Amino acid sequence: MTLLGMLAGAALVSIGPAEAHGVMRSRQAHTARAVKATDTASLRYVSASGSLLFEEGKASGTLPGSMRVHFNVGATLSGSFTIYTHGGSIKGHGEATPHGSGVYESFAGSLLATGGSGRFSHAHGRARLYGTFNRDTYALTLQTTGTLSY
Amino acid sequence: MRRTPLARRTLLLAGALLGVCLPAAALGAPTARLSGLFTPERLNQRTTLDFAFFFTAPAGQVPPPLTQIELRYPDNLGIGLSGLGLATCTAQIMEASSPSGCPTNSVMGYGEALTGIVLGSETITEVAPITILRAPDREGHFALLFYAEGSTPVDTHILFPGLLLPASAPFGGLVSIGVPLVPTLPGAPYISVLQLHATLGPHRVTYYERTNGMTLAYQPRGILLPGNCPRGGFPFAAQFSFLDGTRATAQTAVPCPAPVRRDGSSTPKRRR
Repeated sequence: MTLLGMLAGAALVSIGPAEAHGVMRSRQAHTARAVKATDTASLRYVSASGSLLFEEGKASGTLPGSMRVHFNVGATLSGSFTIYTHGGSIKGHGEATPHGSGVYESFAGSLLATGGSGRFSHAHGRARLYGTFNRDTYALTLQTTGTLSY
Repeated sequence: MRRTPLARRTLLLAGALLGVCLPAAALGAPTARLSGLFTPERLNQRTTLDFAFFFTAPAGQVPPPLTQIELRYPDNLGIGLSGLGLATCTAQIMEASSPSGCPTNSVMGYGEALTGIVLGSETITEVAPITILRAPDREGHFALLFYAEGSTPVDTHILFPGLLLPASAPFGGLVSIGVPLVPTLPGAPYISVLQLHATLGPHRVTYYERTNGMTLAYQPRGILLPGNCPRGGFPFAAQFSFLDGTRATAQTAVPCPAPVRRDGSSTPKRRR
């Protein structure tokens, strides 16, 4: 459903396994970085159609920026996200199971980063996802913790 | 589920007056019909879902007692965004004090069930109003409680749970409802459900909120319809399980609304 950043600094330089085994490959000098990160985002309602919500807001933490989320409020919560941060954007999708009752619905699940743009064009990774959803105002608070490679 | 001593006495009296004779073949193969309606039905607007089940059995019989309902509803139906069920009520509270003891903001809809039993050669029917309330989530699923209260001839109330579960396309989810068995007379069959009609939405529902020290009444927003209507209409399907092991299925589709013209009116449907 969403993500926020899961990146930042700590750079792990890795060499593609093909090269490590001496196999001929096109020389695309991509330096992969893996980052452990924890981030939070507060999103507000923009629009809705049926069970689909579109929200946006600010993300803070390891990767500050802005975030847009399209998600489906059904028997489970699922959706896609884009986070815009310095140097590019990260896209992905996720799913979570609601646990709360009443106005605030808490949820837990996972998300997957599947790509991006700029310096995050090779972004991929997996993170745990936690949050609350206000069923009255549709305000969404997210926390993610995981590892992102890019 | 609980039955009062009065209920038992009422039934015993009814049985004695009618001469209880319960044919072994009272449980015929049931068939089911399902209807659905959105009020109002405008795309991208809030609505109340109105659904009904009708069961039929061979003449002179009633359907077997119902034990389970699975109602599949269309994809992209904004039940979770309806603003309904902002509070929850528990089975314990309802057992103790009926829905009147529950938070007002836990009500999600109303309905009524028509039930019946065969006593001798007569089918005795009863109408039981139903209140649908939000319950605390169960196993990570949105939970509902259905409270049905009958008075004549069977003075009883029953409480049965519902869960919103995922469903495969073209459906967005399903409501799984476990229906308890309601005893009647000793040795007599359980009560059978003949019809069930309910609404899920803001129709007849009033919520309250505290704002600046004042309590304000308002009508919940309601189920948000998507901006597009699926080809063939909004699909609903239901599967019913009965005590004797038989099952029945039914499906329907709520027709797409007529396109809205520039002046805001709907295009009239063609007359045949």
